Amino acid sequence: MSQPEPVLVVEDLKVEFPVHGGLLGGRRIGTVKAVDGVSFEVNPGETLGVVGESGCGKTTMGLAILRMIDITSGRIVFDGEDISTLERAAMRPVRRKMQMVYQDPFGALDPRMRAKDIIGEPLVAHGISENREAYRERVSELLEMVGLDVVMGERYPHEFSGGQRQRIGIARALALRPTLVVCDEPVSALDVSIQAQIINLLEALQDELGLTYLFIAHDLSVVQHISDRVMVMYLGKVVEIANRSDLYRAPKHPYTQALLSAVPMPSPDAEAAREVVLLEGEVPSPLNPPTGCPFHPRCSMARPDCRETMPVLTEQNTGHKVACHLY
Amino acid sequence: MTSLLEVRNLKTYFHSDGSVVKAVDGVSFDVRAGETVAVVGESGSGKTVTALSVLRLIPDPPGEIISGEIRFAGRDLLSLSEAEVRKIRGNRIAMIFQEPMTSLNPSLTVGRQVGEPIEIHQRASRKNAWDKCIALLHKVRIPDPEQRANAYPYQFSGGMRQRAMIAMSLACEPELIIADEPTTALDVTVQAQVLHLLKELTRETGAALVIITHDLGVVARYADRVNVMYAGRIVETGQTSEIFNNPKHPYTVGLMNSLPRLDGDVRFALQPIEGHPPDLANLPSGCAFQPRCQYAVDRCLAKPPELSEVNPEHLAACWVDLNVTA
Ligand SMILES: Nc1ncnc2c1ncn2[C@@H]1O[C@H](COP(=O)(O)OP(=O)(O)OP(=O)(O)O)[C@@H](O)[C@H]1O
Ligand SMILES: Nc1ncnc2c1ncn2[C@@H]1O[C@H](COP(=O)(O)OP(=O)(O)OP(=O)(O)O)[C@@H](O)[C@H]1O
Ligand SMILES: [Mg+2]
Ligand SMILES: [Mg+2]
Repeated sequence: MSQPEPVLVVEDLKVEFPVHGGLLGGRRIGTVKAVDGVSFEVNPGETLGVVGESGCGKTTMGLAILRMIDITSGRIVFDGEDISTLERAAMRPVRRKMQMVYQDPFGALDPRMRAKDIIGEPLVAHGISENREAYRERVSELLEMVGLDVVMGERYPHEFSGGQRQRIGIARALALRPTLVVCDEPVSALDVSIQAQIINLLEALQDELGLTYLFIAHDLSVVQHISDRVMVMYLGKVVEIANRSDLYRAPKHPYTQALLSAVPMPSPDAEAAREVVLLEGEVPSPLNPPTGCPFHPRCSMARPDCRETMPVLTEQNTGHKVACHLY
Repeated sequence: MTSLLEVRNLKTYFHSDGSVVKAVDGVSFDVRAGETVAVVGESGSGKTVTALSVLRLIPDPPGEIISGEIRFAGRDLLSLSEAEVRKIRGNRIAMIFQEPMTSLNPSLTVGRQVGEPIEIHQRASRKNAWDKCIALLHKVRIPDPEQRANAYPYQFSGGMRQRAMIAMSLACEPELIIADEPTTALDVTVQAQVLHLLKELTRETGAALVIITHDLGVVARYADRVNVMYAGRIVETGQTSEIFNNPKHPYTVGLMNSLPRLDGDVRFALQPIEGHPPDLANLPSGCAFQPRCQYAVDRCLAKPPELSEVNPEHLAACWVDLNVTA
């Protein structure tokens, strides 16, 4: 079977932010390399999970791919088209095909708008519906698709629970029939019992609509559940990427190993039998990243060359890439 | 064995917009010397309000402890004067909050803040308090504590701030530490570091630990016993292994089934609890979980169930016997 064309190809993507300081915060004192040379592909209909510690650049990468923030360098190819340098107007039709679901179901919704108008807004903005009737029908269809009653469309965001608000956010993201959805921590603000509802919904919608997900989360169990492949980031760089089962069963990078070991499992028996590897030291500041491998100051296996040169991401077995001098 | 902390039928309500929010509605539990008790439950189920009630930190108004008893080392905390409570709080009972930035004073050095409880409660000289503070910062693995003690909170990373909070809470060698989501704002690897340290230090000093969390993994890894809360009540309580291996309340069962787990089978869909948590100002009749419960019978709508024995160490508040029904 031939490989399908990837939906998304990211090549050596870099996003830098100037950092201002000094007395009035006016002087530029440095640069944060929030995304620092990231490359990967996403195939149609698959879910690529993205994990990594706070500040490692996950959100920035997601926003850059959707061209919602400026990129410093690199290439983003979406559906075969290089979109990295497209102007605003040229981006408009592309943007319909790529949408985002946000972490905070509270902040992301306009409190003065009814749910049905929040969901329908993208349709209006892109002039999609032929007439009022078609518009109303599409909004009802979207409400039902995410498991909300059509009458609930009349309510305002504050009248919904967190999980229901996240459903509204998902319905809105799906309004324009996108192919790629970037989910940025879509369940981390929700109660455990509600998280499962939303994860199941996202999975069902993917089957039904053939969606491709870039799924950003810090919860490794959630990412394992939903992803086909998983990418691990550290300080703006990809340190490991592999199929789900390879990454979780045979993690190669010492950071991935520590990350998995740190996750407590909801089973006292499993926990009692487990040996936990604890990392020493602090997460380094992205303003002043370590030389060589960004993980070396916390790595128990670090060797002299780890302090000097950044290891390149190289393929170990099929589809399993790791950036570490040990391999 | 006698209990260090005994809470009996605690009710803490809030008055807002003419309605009454029954944040804690008849909660009873014990904490024994040296043990770790986890409190889990949905957002808004009353975990923090329970902890704040024990410390007598409920803002009144709008809050009010309506009734109940809180006995700590044999004394009823609810009958003490504010001055007497102040001698216990931060001294014999310490609290660690979720966001250390809000509980650390931004304009005082970390060293001064960690040393403060020692000066106040143990009447130590500033010099002695400082020395002890350095030892504590060392104990919580702050590198170069002599220099770092002069830093301000914003100059610490999130993990370091939380470790400084732990140092502060340990300063007077409390018998009880209440940690409210102590690591929720931290990264997984830092979370593991901080919790491990907290557990190790309480083991060393013999302090009891109440840890409020929504992470069942944290419960499994660290707690001896668990209280499961739902809508202002404890719906199930028991030894950790018993609660995980033999849960009896449908909410606890639902919680366990809805979790994706690292050691689980990813081929199957998760089993969520349908619906959403109730409005505490407008609770459903009978059992508060009944609208979301697949096992509910008529009786569940009529009357809220009390905690009853599954075995002497395991209580659950449910009218239905899951063994018979399932
Ligand atoms: N607009 C901005 N200006 C300056 N720096 C920024 C900006 N946005 C992000 N950063 C910095 O870029 C880095 C990456 O941030 P980003 O939000 O992408 O991380 P993240 O992996 O999504 O973290 P989290 O898990 O906490 O959401 C951080 O150091 C952050 O402080
Ligand atoms: N100061 C207050 N005024 C009014 N209501 C309050 C106040 N503090 C708490 N409540 C209410 O009491 C209930 C219980 O809140 P509590 O903070 O104990 O929940 P929790 O279980 O700690 O939740 P979380 O997991 O989100 O921290 C909530 O409905 C909350 O809105
Ligand atoms: Mg982010
Ligand atoms: Mg709380």
